[in-house]
Amino acid sequence: MKAKFIHITLICHLLSITAIAQIGLNPNAITILNTKNDFTAGDTIALRFTLPKGTKPNLYCTNSYGSTLISPSIKNQTLVYTLPKHISNKSGSIYWKLISHETSLSGQFNIRSKPNVASIETYIGPPSVQAGQNDYTMAVVIPTDTLDNPLNTNTKVTVKHQFLDTVVNATVINNNIIAYSNITSKQKSGRILISSEVLGKNSKEFTVDVLPSLPTNFTIGYNQNHSYADGNQITTFFTSTLKDRYGNTVIDGTYVTFFVRNKAGAVLKTFGTTINGVAKSEMLHPSNPESWTVKAFVNGMAESNTITLNYKEAIKTFNVHFSKNNRTITVGPLKSFMKQLIPDGLQVVAFVYKHNTLVHKYNGASKQGLVTFNLKKDLIKNDTYNIKIQVAGLEKTFNAKILW
Amino acid sequence: MKKKSNKYLITALLIGLAFHGASIFFTLETTYDALIHLFFADHYSHNWFEPWNYKWYTGFSVMSYPPLVHQVIAGLSLIGGLKFGLFATALLGVILFITGVYRFSLLLSGNKVTAGYASILAVFSSSFVETLHVFGQLPSIIGISVLMHALPEVYLWLKTGKYRYLFTGLSLISVTVTSHHVTPIFGMVFFIFPLIGMVIMDVSKETVGTIKAVTFKLFVVSFFKLFKRIVSFGALSLIIIIGCILPYWINSKNNPITQVPIPHGSRDNFLEITSSGLVFFLIPWGCLLIILPYILYRYYSKRYLFFGLSISLLFVLGTGGTTPIPKIILGETAFNILTLDRFTLWASIMSLPIFGEFAYRFVEADLKQLIQHKFGAIYHGIIGAIIVGLFLFITVFTMSLGYFRPSQPQKIKMRPIVNFLNQDQHDQWRYLTLGFGDQMAWLSAQTNALTVDGNYHSARRLPELTTRPVERLENSKFKGVEGIGSLQQFLTVPEKYNLKYIFSNDKFYDPILYFCGWQRLQQLENGINVWERLNIPPISTVLPKDNVAKWQKILWGTLPFLTIIIAFILNIQLMWLRTLKTKLRTVPEYLKFRNNYASFSSVVLKTTHIWALLLAILFVYGLYKVYLKNNDHISPKNTVLAYYNALDFKAFKKAHSLINPKKKSSIAQYMLEISVSDGLLSSYAKLNAIKTTINFKNDSLATAKVVTNWITPLESIDKTDYKTLVKQNNKWYINIDDLNSYLPPDQLYSSNVTTYFNQGRRRITTEQTHHEDVLKQPVLEILSAKLVKFKTHYAIVGEVQNIDNVPADVVLKGTLYNNNNKALATYNAKYHLKHKLMPKETSSFKINFEGIAWSKTKDSIPKTFNPDEFTPVEFEEQPTKFNLQAAGNVSNSDLYKSFAINELNVSSNTISGSLFNSGTEEITIPQLLVSYYNLDKTLLWVDHLFLKDGIRQQRKKSFDYTILENEKITVINDDMSNCYVNGLPNKDIALKVIPNRIINHTQHQLQKINHPEYEFIKIEINAYIGNPK
Repeated sequence: MKAKFIHITLICHLLSITAIAQIGLNPNAITILNTKNDFTAGDTIALRFTLPKGTKPNLYCTNSYGSTLISPSIKNQTLVYTLPKHISNKSGSIYWKLISHETSLSGQFNIRSKPNVASIETYIGPPSVQAGQNDYTMAVVIPTDTLDNPLNTNTKVTVKHQFLDTVVNATVINNNIIAYSNITSKQKSGRILISSEVLGKNSKEFTVDVLPSLPTNFTIGYNQNHSYADGNQITTFFTSTLKDRYGNTVIDGTYVTFFVRNKAGAVLKTFGTTINGVAKSEMLHPSNPESWTVKAFVNGMAESNTITLNYKEAIKTFNVHFSKNNRTITVGPLKSFMKQLIPDGLQVVAFVYKHNTLVHKYNGASKQGLVTFNLKKDLIKNDTYNIKIQVAGLEKTFNAKILW
Repeated sequence: MKKKSNKYLITALLIGLAFHGASIFFTLETTYDALIHLFFADHYSHNWFEPWNYKWYTGFSVMSYPPLVHQVIAGLSLIGGLKFGLFATALLGVILFITGVYRFSLLLSGNKVTAGYASILAVFSSSFVETLHVFGQLPSIIGISVLMHALPEVYLWLKTGKYRYLFTGLSLISVTVTSHHVTPIFGMVFFIFPLIGMVIMDVSKETVGTIKAVTFKLFVVSFFKLFKRIVSFGALSLIIIIGCILPYWINSKNNPITQVPIPHGSRDNFLEITSSGLVFFLIPWGCLLIILPYILYRYYSKRYLFFGLSISLLFVLGTGGTTPIPKIILGETAFNILTLDRFTLWASIMSLPIFGEFAYRFVEADLKQLIQHKFGAIYHGIIGAIIVGLFLFITVFTMSLGYFRPSQPQKIKMRPIVNFLNQDQHDQWRYLTLGFGDQMAWLSAQTNALTVDGNYHSARRLPELTTRPVERLENSKFKGVEGIGSLQQFLTVPEKYNLKYIFSNDKFYDPILYFCGWQRLQQLENGINVWERLNIPPISTVLPKDNVAKWQKILWGTLPFLTIIIAFILNIQLMWLRTLKTKLRTVPEYLKFRNNYASFSSVVLKTTHIWALLLAILFVYGLYKVYLKNNDHISPKNTVLAYYNALDFKAFKKAHSLINPKKKSSIAQYMLEISVSDGLLSSYAKLNAIKTTINFKNDSLATAKVVTNWITPLESIDKTDYKTLVKQNNKWYINIDDLNSYLPPDQLYSSNVTTYFNQGRRRITTEQTHHEDVLKQPVLEILSAKLVKFKTHYAIVGEVQNIDNVPADVVLKGTLYNNNNKALATYNAKYHLKHKLMPKETSSFKINFEGIAWSKTKDSIPKTFNPDEFTPVEFEEQPTKFNLQAAGNVSNSDLYKSFAINELNVSSNTISGSLFNSGTEEITIPQLLVSYYNLDKTLLWVDHLFLKDGIRQQRKKSFDYTILENEKITVINDDMSNCYVNGLPNKDIALKVIPNRIINHTQHQLQKINHPEYEFIKIEINAYIGNPK
């Protein structure tokens, strides 16, 4: 049906061709017989001229893709130049010129794209935007006809997008090959689906994500089994749900740093990433009685309130026993808050001093409540030493111990 | 008289083909060189006339190696593939070698029986077996074999002056030249010169009748008689040596070897490094050592005098660095370029004719009679059995050397790697292999992808490679610190060479890959780990090459085969005649000088006996020394050494056997304890040096101070341990320390994390990624950046934050400029950056500007290089400005962030504390990034510390960090206007995402320290997970 339509218009065009070039007085002069200078891509386009007496000139013909020479055929005493398909299929301006010594005849005509759409190229970017009013994404639509010509300027293009319950249709005008529409971000996070429509033909679906905006201030809390400084149990810190200024929960994986300042002023740190807006992080209980001040940050964007944790002492006192030429020091049994043996791994430190200068520092960990240090002869020569033992913030010093 | 074909030679050929033909399939592919020749052959099979190869070293010319053998393999590969070509060529080499030895022996002795014996012995010659089955030096074998074929022709030309012999001789020499360039050059000196001497002797002898009557004067007269022939032959040979591989010489002249020499075992002192002595001296000489007095005796007889001199020289040169003589003779340069093992190879080949003669005399002639007469038949039989047994034992041992001490990693199935490179356009980037050994050449032959590495070190071109004594990046860990130093430059700035993929067959390299910003991609089905680096542009479609003139290409492509064809036409008739004797023809001149074996000198027999006894004593003494060295319990020192070696080689069962039996736990408990200790020191360290001092020792107890140095991929670690040793049942044992006894409170843990998956292309298609599937680059913000000067070197320090909603892989590239905006240096952030950042995470960074290490001071490579140290760029002008380019790419790996700084104690010069691993992955290598601030809380410097031990799940680990010395740091420029993120100006893009940033938000959370230069520090943690679950 379509083919037939094209055929009919083509015949009409051919019949209605009239001259647009000037008619010369010379009998050898050639005049154009076509009148129309507007064609549709894909039509058979033939330029007709009066038949001169002498030579039959070639027609030079050029468009933005290239140039060619066309030799004439003679039909009904007219010169007929039929444009090859690779020229007549492309929309745009075409310039022609007869290559003849006698006459200088040239002209131009336009080929318009077909008034239908074969494909719609769509480009959307960026693929994600930040919630709020500032950020936006741009949809660029390039509709083309069956011969891959961009549609004519001023063709109407509808860019549609859906977000939650609303569907918005924006009509934009095709200009210089493309049509584009800016889609502003939303306050709620979610997904925008975008498509476009040109002359009744629809594109496929495209996706743009609206991601939450920056986090705002939040609160923190903690969980623990007991508040004793046993160096073994774990305290968990957590945040309230981190939200942006529009009430969206921040994206999973948002990095939160918990700064913990202890009694001595040292800055301890633990880190967490959010899941459903909540970040959790863990720390081991200290082994000394402590007071921790905790505040969490999302660097440059948000911070929490400050909370304070107090750890009570788990070990009240401890025993030290020297044996084997005073070279073996046994600390313990170390007992916790219910007089139970402290869980394995409590750190015990032994300092060996000679005249107030540190000779060596031994780190030990408790096992079944006991810690044993062996002072090897290589390191600690036979002499008199002062020995200091530190356990869970407690300290005992033994002066003038003779090692042999 | 109809002549018979030589049954000994036929036997030798049959045995040779069966023996080598059967074993070659199990040995050749694991040799050092065979696969390199295969790679070259692959090149010729695709580009016969194009000498430029892009696959290695960002391009090199195959004109850097004589082409014949490679072209022969390439030609044969058209029939049955590359490996068929390789094996066929190797078998050709075997045939050429056996016949070559036969002809050489026949030339010397004039006796077909002894020559036949020599050819049989040649089959099992340990030096030949080693060269073929262990080293895989095909061109060298073919070169020397053809040279031996040329010798009789040369002799006949000099003796008779018939031109046909000149042509046949020269034709064979041209084949030698095109297969191996070094062989004819040294062959001239060591084989042809003595041969000329022998011809002159023979001519002199003919004049006076007996060899005894030949005087020096007569010798000179004869020399001048033959002078024309000698000179003409010498001149023509020279023309052939130069002419046949002219492009090679032109190439050598244009690209002189200006690289740092690569250490080679053949240059070692064999007495110090006994393994080199074994491989490069004992094995190639083998049984020949026993009859060395006889060989010298024979070669120093008047006729062979010049061979005597030659073999003596070869013997000495072959001893490498054992004596200073080779260095004096060859000169420093030649000594460092040549591999001296070839001298031993030639010496042993030169000995074969005499060995054949000895065998003949021992088996069926005068020596047999002498021994039987003196010592009896039984003694003769026993001696014979011992020599044959020893000879065969050495041969078998040599052939299976690769089995006892594998020179190569296990055979790697290349198909999955080749497929990986072919799919998804992965071959549009360069790749690198790690831990492949010489098999990397086989991979290169099979894929079109290019690598920055290569396996022919003379052709190395990149300054990063030529300034190091590193033959391949691939095995850089065996080259200690220089190797790792070379490798890390490629890993830090991979975009310079479009290096995107790394195939790792050795987990040793994993930490350096991680901390340089690489990420694990996948494990292929052959167990090879693929690592990739994001943000690397593909290789440009047009690559530079050094073009050569067309005539050179044509000459190179045609001449080698032409030499074969000409040699074939000229010689084949002779070959047939000489070996198979199908037609009666004149007897060659040299057969007139047939040796007669009538009476074996009893003095020589005596000398040989004494010599053999000496050797035997030496051998037994050597064995005793080895026993003393290898007995682990004989002294405390041995026990300590054995224990540390066992730990180094992960021989835990052996380590356990060295522990004090009274104190030790069961092997099961010990293995369990080992299995839970991971980390830089226990999993990635190689023992480099160990020094044991025994402080105290009595009958049953000893204490030792053990100072060890370990090479890890990241840094070199020095460690001092104090160990106690006890003696029980006359054996020394070591006491070990207890493990940390910490018990986590819970048995089972749960944890929630966000994981990410990057689809890549959603549609299964080979097309380039559709634009809808291209992920947005995460937006980063450079919070601060400044150019600082520390001592003599410059660095860019600052902080970067991922302000996007997806995890980002961060690449930071800094460029320094002078006042005139001239770019001075470019480098990337290496260890001083958390390369993976979660959304909103911040990392401090520092970019050091590394020069190509030691490029200026080639000879002052520090003995104690630390992989962590670097050579700062030498600036000719003062850098005053900087440009910083940050690139973010979505990453879904290495995002483990579950850790905490659980304790911290700050003293004036150290910070100690402990890290707590609160998650469900074991941290293999924790890293601390320590940032230093001044009183105004301005960032001045970033330092790092790798913790030696890993941290298991739910456990803590203590650390000690030494605060930097009082070094003044000058801020040169803190103008951030040239900072860019993903190509966009930093300020603009940051303002768009975070319009209301709280500036210096966490600065009041910095840690105060007592230091004259710095007021505050900040500690960040980065963690490498070795085995992600």
